[in-house]
Amino acid sequence: MERVLVADDVTVRLGGKLILDGISFWIPKGEFVCLCGPNGAGKSTFLKTVLGIIEPTSGAISILGKPAGVAQRAVGYVPQRKTFDQDFPATALELIVANLRGKWPIRVHDAERERARAVLQRVGGEALIDKPLAGLSGGETQRVFLARALVTDPALIILDEPTAGVDVRGRQEFLDILWEISASDELAAILVTHNPAAIARCAERVVYIEKKLIAWGLPDELLGKSSLSAISYARTTRTPGGVIAPDED
Amino acid sequence: MIRAIMAGTAVGALCAVLGVFVVQRGLSFIGDGLAHAAFGGIALGLLLGASVSHATWVALPFTVLVSLGISFVLRRGRMRGDSATGVFFAVSFALGVLFLGLRPLSAPPVNVESVLFGSILAVGPQDLLVMGAVCVLVGLAMAITWTRLAYATFDPELAKLSGVPVERLDDMLLALTAVVIVVAVKTVGIALVSSFIVIPAATARMLGRSLHRVTLYAVLLGVGGAALGLLLSYHLNVASGATIILVMGAFFALGLVVKRR
Repeated sequence: MERVLVADDVTVRLGGKLILDGISFWIPKGEFVCLCGPNGAGKSTFLKTVLGIIEPTSGAISILGKPAGVAQRAVGYVPQRKTFDQDFPATALELIVANLRGKWPIRVHDAERERARAVLQRVGGEALIDKPLAGLSGGETQRVFLARALVTDPALIILDEPTAGVDVRGRQEFLDILWEISASDELAAILVTHNPAAIARCAERVVYIEKKLIAWGLPDELLGKSSLSAISYARTTRTPGGVIAPDED
Repeated sequence: MIRAIMAGTAVGALCAVLGVFVVQRGLSFIGDGLAHAAFGGIALGLLLGASVSHATWVALPFTVLVSLGISFVLRRGRMRGDSATGVFFAVSFALGVLFLGLRPLSAPPVNVESVLFGSILAVGPQDLLVMGAVCVLVGLAMAITWTRLAYATFDPELAKLSGVPVERLDDMLLALTAVVIVVAVKTVGIALVSSFIVIPAATARMLGRSLHRVTLYAVLLGVGGAALGLLLSYHLNVASGATIILVMGAFFALGLVVKRR
């Protein structure tokens, strides 16, 4: 199975402080991974390293065989809801096209509009295309950001606690969309979440870190390890289907 | 009067187009901060023996350096924009007071009022030439970078991931704002220049549903406010800078009414 992401002994020190210590694992094509760990475990730092924002102090991350910093177009990113400007005068269409072009659009071409419409339809948000971002609910906003991340046809999508701050209904609807993504054989994903329902519904594999890699495996395999009690809820509610085993080395 | 209208509308347009990004980034206070930094630069020029008019050439690099200092502190992320601006504002102004005090007793007296409130009716042909050059520089820079600057203003992290050189654009925006403020101080003065940056952009923000429309409205409001304010001040025989700001304030109030409807 082709590996989309390979983390090879990744160590990150920031301001002299050890944040990540020798993290190694890989994600094959189409696999949906939930990245878990307590606050301060280094999850966000790991994501930033995958996105090429932070350089590892030692070790390396490669995406489709290229260093993380030069493979940014192969990675889609859905930020936490709080990290973007809710007051910016923009529509969903402009946001999606901005990711296609790498700059903010003044005028949107018909082909770009059609591509944005198609990707919004994929996440159940076709009606949002011309809506101002400021008027969207939390769940709608995250759908638009998911569409934005998908519009470049990435091989890997990174979701950084996308349902944090979203109401219960919006969260459930968003999880339904993520579950459909997790069924895809093409798109790999890393979901950072503390939400048990999200892990139970979507995870094909779980990576648990606390600076070091503590566990990496199928949700069912990780049960019974006391240090992983935080993710043991995956046992009872896992939706069947689509589990992909990693390659043997 | 024609020179004054040309100068006023040029300053109105320049400040408005930069103001859209400054206001959207929550840095409205930076206009005041850089204007007071310009005072420090002008005072340094006076201390070095230049006239008020020529001291602008000392204020220009001084204010640009202060703007880059603010940008550096903001990038480190350990201080809010208003706090960083406040510190630079106070230090620059204090330096200005110190520089003025250090001038020899034999030095010619300085008309502080013209520095504080400007003298748009006294704008000469040479001032207009400088403003024209700044208009071309800022206009070109903004036209070339607008789409990337807009993306970086929406979300620096996402823009960076799309390959936008966010840090360089941040530096450019603040440096251009510094240049425009130093040039505008001659016409509207230190005390009022930040209004040219904040009011048209804040009014346009209420009316436009996309950033390019907000930019267009801000420029129209900046130019219109400057021209109408100057004409009113001429006919009513009142202070021109203050009248321009009051007209812009009236536009803002109208914008609030339109938005409510």
